[in-house]
Amino acid sequence: MERIASVPGLPPILACAALLAIWEIAARLLAIDGLPPASAALAQVPAILGDPEALLNIAASLRRMAIGFVLGIAAAVPIGLMMGRSQYVAAFFNPLLMIIYPVPKAALMPIIMLWLGVGDASKTLVIFLGVTLPVIYHSYQGARAVEERMLWSAAAMGMGPLARLVRIVLPAALPEILVGCRTGLVLALITMVTSEMITRQTGIGNILFNSLDMAQYDTVYAMIVIIGVLGFALDAAFEALRSRLVGWAAPSHALVVGTT
Amino acid sequence: MTRSGRSASALIGVIPIALIIGIWQAIAASGLAPPSILPPPAAVFARLVQQLGSPAYLDHVATTLFRLFTGFAIAAVIGVTIGVAATGSRAVEAIVQPLVRVLAPVPKIALYPAFILTLGFENASKIALVVADAAFPILLATHQGTSAVEPKLAWSARAAGTSPLACLVTVVLPAALPSVLTGCRIALVISCIVVFLAEMITSTDGLGHLLVRASRSFQTVDMFVPLITISLLGLLLNVGFNALRARLLAGFPEEP
Repeated sequence: MERIASVPGLPPILACAALLAIWEIAARLLAIDGLPPASAALAQVPAILGDPEALLNIAASLRRMAIGFVLGIAAAVPIGLMMGRSQYVAAFFNPLLMIIYPVPKAALMPIIMLWLGVGDASKTLVIFLGVTLPVIYHSYQGARAVEERMLWSAAAMGMGPLARLVRIVLPAALPEILVGCRTGLVLALITMVTSEMITRQTGIGNILFNSLDMAQYDTVYAMIVIIGVLGFALDAAFEALRSRLVGWAAPSHALVVGTT
Repeated sequence: MTRSGRSASALIGVIPIALIIGIWQAIAASGLAPPSILPPPAAVFARLVQQLGSPAYLDHVATTLFRLFTGFAIAAVIGVTIGVAATGSRAVEAIVQPLVRVLAPVPKIALYPAFILTLGFENASKIALVVADAAFPILLATHQGTSAVEPKLAWSARAAGTSPLACLVTVVLPAALPSVLTGCRIALVISCIVVFLAEMITSTDGLGHLLVRASRSFQTVDMFVPLITISLLGLLLNVGFNALRARLLAGFPEEP
């Protein structure tokens, strides 16, 4: 029964096909320059992926994204866990996080570039900022929900506070932490693309707008498709990893939302 | 928490914020960073107050707010309608669910060039981007909320002769209000951020444009001011919406 219900990937593939079909039909009906048919845009995808310069740009973007994402998690999970276990740590960070929450992180790019220059450091820092907030939030929620009795037993057996945090709170909060990481991953991609669109120097976002300026509309749409596929693939890959790591926890249908 | 405990934790919360402003002030005062790179906080806040009194600046704020609220309103209508429809009909759910699964993790900002090409450089493309970003949290929250409504409520209404559609709108949707409003609150802050970013990428007016304009002429103080304004707006909208939510949900049991 379960097997039939989860013919993996079939409904999303159908959904993609439907979207492409609607796009193709709409483009042919409207017949405007700004909306080339799906087939024309897709035909450009191999050309982009075959161009070494574009590929290097995309790889550089992804490398920055990965570094920012990993650093963000490394910083956010300990903070979130400590917030969840100590009322004082939570009181310390909560107002600050509330103030940072509505700040558009990618919009910090021009200011950060004044300080750190136009290199990788600024771009990675912005991605780092985009990732940390949801991961802190979910780690916090996960750590708060840890069964008190487990902690009491561990303490009674002589486990120190740090060991309790690493060996009990961390695994117990892992499902929730991974939900945060999933949101963080999508946000890392969004922040990366957005900050590159704003600074217009290198990377995926830059290719997108350069081809817009040069009126290569097929390439614009091909890049949109590539970014879209990237987002979906990263999310699906992370979801697969999550269900392997914490298959014992109830599958979560957390909202994958947020933007920077 | 007791009253003294609450005020104590409020005090603790002020520490990091005061620390950041203190370090900012110290760096600016020490001359380590020239004012062109890091203006002192007093200069930034003075400029903020001055700008908030200037009609030209408020015009930009109004432009941004117009795009924000129009986009958010359209997103709310679309999100709630599709969310309720997906709960009410299996066929709709079967279509919507895979579409959402595919589209939700896609960075909507990547669609912005497509919106520019099809809708032009003016308001429409920015509003469309806000709709694209804000509709998903509302849709998902509405769908989750309405799916979780106690079935007995709907059954009683149906048994009393309510039509399926009326039952969805008058019984299920109000019962799911807490979840719907949570989705709306998230979407509101997202709208705020997205409209600002869209204005930064291409625009001739609005708060985001002011930041970019200031950065092109290296007016550092004026770069901070729009950023602080949009963050304050996000904060205020969040707090305001929370207050509205508390009023609307006066009769509902406390949510965790």
